[in-house]
Amino acid sequence: MPREPRPSAKTGRRGGALQVGATLADLEISRAWLVDPFAGREGAGEIVVRDGEIAGVTWLTGAAAKGVDASGVIVAPGFLDLHVHLREPGFEDAETVATGLAAAAHGGFTRVCAMANTSPAIDGAAVVGLVRAAAAASGSPVALEIVGAVSAGRAGEKLAALGEMTDAGVVGFSDDGAPVKGPVLLAHALRYAGMLGRPIVEHAEDTALTSGAEANEGLVASVLGLRGWPAAAEEAVVARDLAILADVVRDVPGARLHLTHLSTAGALDLVRRAKAAGLPVTCDVTPHHLALADEWIAGARRWAWEAVDGAGARRDPVGAGAPVARDPWTDAAIVAEPFDPDLRVNPPLRDPADAAAVRAALRDGTADAVATDHAPHTLVDKEVEFGLAANGISGIETALGVLLAAVDAGELTLAAAMAALTSGPAGVLGAWTGRPVAAGLKVGAPADLVLFDRGESWTVTPASLRSKGKNTPLAGRALPGRVLLTVAAGRIAFSDLD
Amino acid sequence: MSDRDPGAEPIVVGADAPAWRHRHLLDVDVLAADEIDLVMRTADAMKGILARPIAKVPALRGRNVTIIFWEASTRTRVSFEVAAKNLSADVVNIAASTSSVTKGESLVDTIRTVQALGAQMLVMRHGTSGAPYLAAEHFDGHVLNGGDGWHAHPTQALLDLYTMRERLPGGSIAGRKVVILGDILHSRVARSNIWSLTAAGADLWLCGPSTLLRGLDRWGGRAAGFPGHGRFTVTSDVDAALRDADVVMALRIQKERMDSGLLPSLREYTARFGLTLDRLAAAKPDALVMHPGPMNEGVEIDPAVVALDRAVIEDQVTNGVAVRMALLYLLAGVHGAEGAHDAA
Repeated sequence: MPREPRPSAKTGRRGGALQVGATLADLEISRAWLVDPFAGREGAGEIVVRDGEIAGVTWLTGAAAKGVDASGVIVAPGFLDLHVHLREPGFEDAETVATGLAAAAHGGFTRVCAMANTSPAIDGAAVVGLVRAAAAASGSPVALEIVGAVSAGRAGEKLAALGEMTDAGVVGFSDDGAPVKGPVLLAHALRYAGMLGRPIVEHAEDTALTSGAEANEGLVASVLGLRGWPAAAEEAVVARDLAILADVVRDVPGARLHLTHLSTAGALDLVRRAKAAGLPVTCDVTPHHLALADEWIAGARRWAWEAVDGAGARRDPVGAGAPVARDPWTDAAIVAEPFDPDLRVNPPLRDPADAAAVRAALRDGTADAVATDHAPHTLVDKEVEFGLAANGISGIETALGVLLAAVDAGELTLAAAMAALTSGPAGVLGAWTGRPVAAGLKVGAPADLVLFDRGESWTVTPASLRSKGKNTPLAGRALPGRVLLTVAAGRIAFSDLD
Repeated sequence: MSDRDPGAEPIVVGADAPAWRHRHLLDVDVLAADEIDLVMRTADAMKGILARPIAKVPALRGRNVTIIFWEASTRTRVSFEVAAKNLSADVVNIAASTSSVTKGESLVDTIRTVQALGAQMLVMRHGTSGAPYLAAEHFDGHVLNGGDGWHAHPTQALLDLYTMRERLPGGSIAGRKVVILGDILHSRVARSNIWSLTAAGADLWLCGPSTLLRGLDRWGGRAAGFPGHGRFTVTSDVDAALRDADVVMALRIQKERMDSGLLPSLREYTARFGLTLDRLAAAKPDALVMHPGPMNEGVEIDPAVVALDRAVIEDQVTNGVAVRMALLYLLAGVHGAEGAHDAA
């Protein structure tokens, strides 16, 4: 299909080149598709930025809108990632705050929440300060939020300096990489953090059930002889945490629980019911759990929505009519060598039916946000036997492309995909801290937006990733939607405009 | 330079033999029926060589076959070594303890090192499922999987198949009831046998305590859909499994299974699942008894069963040498065919 040339985006360039960190002096985007989940609106429009502020938003109608649709250049509010690992301090060979923020900007993100499993762990104001200083030194305008550790040293024994860290501005607490160790510590943490007006962000995993586990317990693990990682390991902890939360909120109304990277149909259904019961719980899901499945470890390379039976694929996730996973052997869908260590992640890639449940949870609002769980690793930690490889996927630069692939397949609307990256996580972060964090495409607000060409694909290669972590199972794959410009708080975070 | 000594008898497989298409042998799942047939016919020729007064041919003379085992094993390692030496290869043996892993020496580093030391063919055993696939990615020569984790043991599956074809009346496995009895969950032997036996049309039954069958019913239940592979049955009912069986293969039960709570005791396992003469009476009168070794006689298999004429456990060992010779010979004939190990 012949495509129109690049956006009619004009950058006045009063300041010369579009340099990272510089204030966006002058930008006019005419005839693009604007998506503003904060306003619940999308359509043809124009947007003007002057001196870092949104100076004009015009929604086009009638003849003026003719020829502009959602298949070309799109402008959306900057993305917000509730869950990233920037590895600094301690693991700077895998990622630094600077490279992590550059990767975020390349992925269209203008705000990220960094997890505390660094070395030393972010368990006090001193380490918080260290990470903030690294962000300031990077010159990146991408906003860095910090999630502090729940327990001192993430050792799971006693509480970290939660109050001190709240004073230092952390947005929540998590021992991510591992669950909060044991129900007693979790109950104490929910109570104490609730007093501070901060959430506990839980990595739900029963580590006794996953001891030695390598891949989702299911057909693929059985065939490949990988140690099974049962869904029950996630669901048991989610169920327990929700029961404890229900108990705690009776006397600490400010207590909040956020369940991160949920991956199973059962866990999401528990959240669905808890939300219906009014519990203060939110959750996020990752791009890889909604779009990839365990069959990739056997060598399949199709999207998860291509691996469920058509009849049930779009139905809701539970009960009769739930999607049924197909198997890649019957479908002759094995096209690559098995055991790619870049597919090793915690929680593991699940069954295609679980992935369908993750997408259904995004559609029905059970899942509040997509968070990438961006987990960069060095080649040394990844180019090893599957079962010995470090867990994690470098995913912040591929999140948009993966979600757009789901949109292209009709699994999500464009509006839902954009909401999952913007207003969804902003609502969660706002609830965590009690203050709103983003405004959308609003005149007078600092420009915080991403401009991408949905019709242009790009191929994921190590060189194309700004992250030091090249550990992505999507390497070699073409993804839709190239980011052209990311503007954070009025300043250029990433630019690929000519 | 000729590959063969003047006067040495050539290895005759047959003019109509199909071509061998794989650079590595990592599992049997990639072998088409005609390729399995080629392995069987080549192994026939190798058995002919083993029957000679001097069981040695120069087929792999000057070739470096490096055998590297990260897991302790005597019989498989020696079988490969004898096979390689019968083909006149230069054999290098490396016992790589897992301590090299704890010392931080990576598998890829080890592979590059043995390659720099001249390895042209690599026979490897490793405790982690999938490790040979990583090795194959970084090795310029040929990788032969001698067993990885719970995943695959292709030479064992092929020697089992060879032994069944040799000993079953009519030489065909199609429609024969084959029972694998014991610890299926942790067994790479069972997994490779699932592929090769269902491909050969066997009526395959996997039997053991439920804790050691974990997850296998998913595979068995689906197998009808696997292209070219028939369904297999998963059960803990040992009597139903053994009824009218043509072949019964017992697997070793390891003491660790008790420590991790998968079984109450060895005694209880033996009482419920041990292969005894009484239980075997339910099978066909001439049913073959097999075991990949090493055996715990008196635990998973009764010594009286081992002593039967139709217990072909030693044949498995001899045939193992022939099958491994065949595979080394076939792999060596594939030169630098990049990506010849197709996953599909």
